[in-house]
Amino acid sequence: MKNFSALLLLMFIASFSVAQKIDYDKKLKELGIELTTPSKPMANYVKATRTGKLIYLSGHGPTKPDGTNVMGKLGADLTIEQGYEAARLTGISLLSSLKAEVGDLNKVKRIVKALGMVNCTETFIDQPKVINGFSDLMVAVFSEKGKHARSAVGMNQLPGNMAVEIEIIVEVE
Amino acid sequence: MKTIIALLLLVSVATLSSAQKVDYDKKLKELGIELITPTKPVANYVKAVRTGNLLYLSGDGPMRSDGKYITGKVGADLTIEQGYEAARQTGISILSTLKAELGDLNKVKRVVKVLGMVNCTPSFTDQPKVINGCSDLMVAVFGEKGKHARSAVGMTSLPTNIAVEIEIIVEVE
Repeated sequence: MKNFSALLLLMFIASFSVAQKIDYDKKLKELGIELTTPSKPMANYVKATRTGKLIYLSGHGPTKPDGTNVMGKLGADLTIEQGYEAARLTGISLLSSLKAEVGDLNKVKRIVKALGMVNCTETFIDQPKVINGFSDLMVAVFSEKGKHARSAVGMNQLPGNMAVEIEIIVEVE
Repeated sequence: MKTIIALLLLVSVATLSSAQKVDYDKKLKELGIELITPTKPVANYVKAVRTGNLLYLSGDGPMRSDGKYITGKVGADLTIEQGYEAARQTGISILSTLKAELGDLNKVKRVVKVLGMVNCTPSFTDQPKVINGCSDLMVAVFGEKGKHARSAVGMTSLPTNIAVEIEIIVEVE
């Protein structure tokens, strides 16, 4: 009898720890997020490198489902709302590369740090409101584990005139 | 006799290691530094994330003790000296965040890396002279432990037009 209850307890614990695994495919679908196929770097660098438990991701851009990027300058061509959407799309690009790198998003222990770069005019000062599109997405997907340190800053120009570029550091299992 | 010598040795080692603790409250006062109350992030991010022995801090700005930021573009609104002062003030914001996160600045083992971003005109090229305000402060406060790797770069604009934004990585005990 004692053995039996020990077994039950063990099964209970096992099911609990399995239950903690999140079905990210389902969760992303619920959030209306469709991961993209990460593009390959076109020069001598890679999308991500791992050192110890940290993954450093290269700067990513706001790639739309059709493969083109959201382009333009905040403060001239795009509204804050359009910038927010571009930062969210950049977050989806980053999630796509992260998934390709680690295989399973359950391996993500913490989004550690983000550097959010906004393509904007000299007088545009609402970079945080733009980069929130990325930060809100990370917390929607990863909850507490998605809360990161960040800087949100304005750039004079970005590759291909894309609206936003974001690089992140992630702690993994 | 041997025991007494051993005991004396032990006592002297103990005093030495306790002497290595720096009274940072006193030191900051001597340097004329008054820590500020760090602001809370107003969006989905946090002031700092620790992973292993590294603490990644969000970008901090030049907040004065009255809660207002030093704003303006170096090369147009601000001189190099004023920029230096803004970088020093940003360093004080960073120290305040560190103190709030760690409780005791003695836990800082090394200031590892600094990214110093200067809000400046396209033709301004003295970013290092500006960011020296933060670097000098770190070495004044932490001595050898304050010496860091760094980049000092020019940004087209920064949130709410702050003059400087600096993010750092710190190794902690």
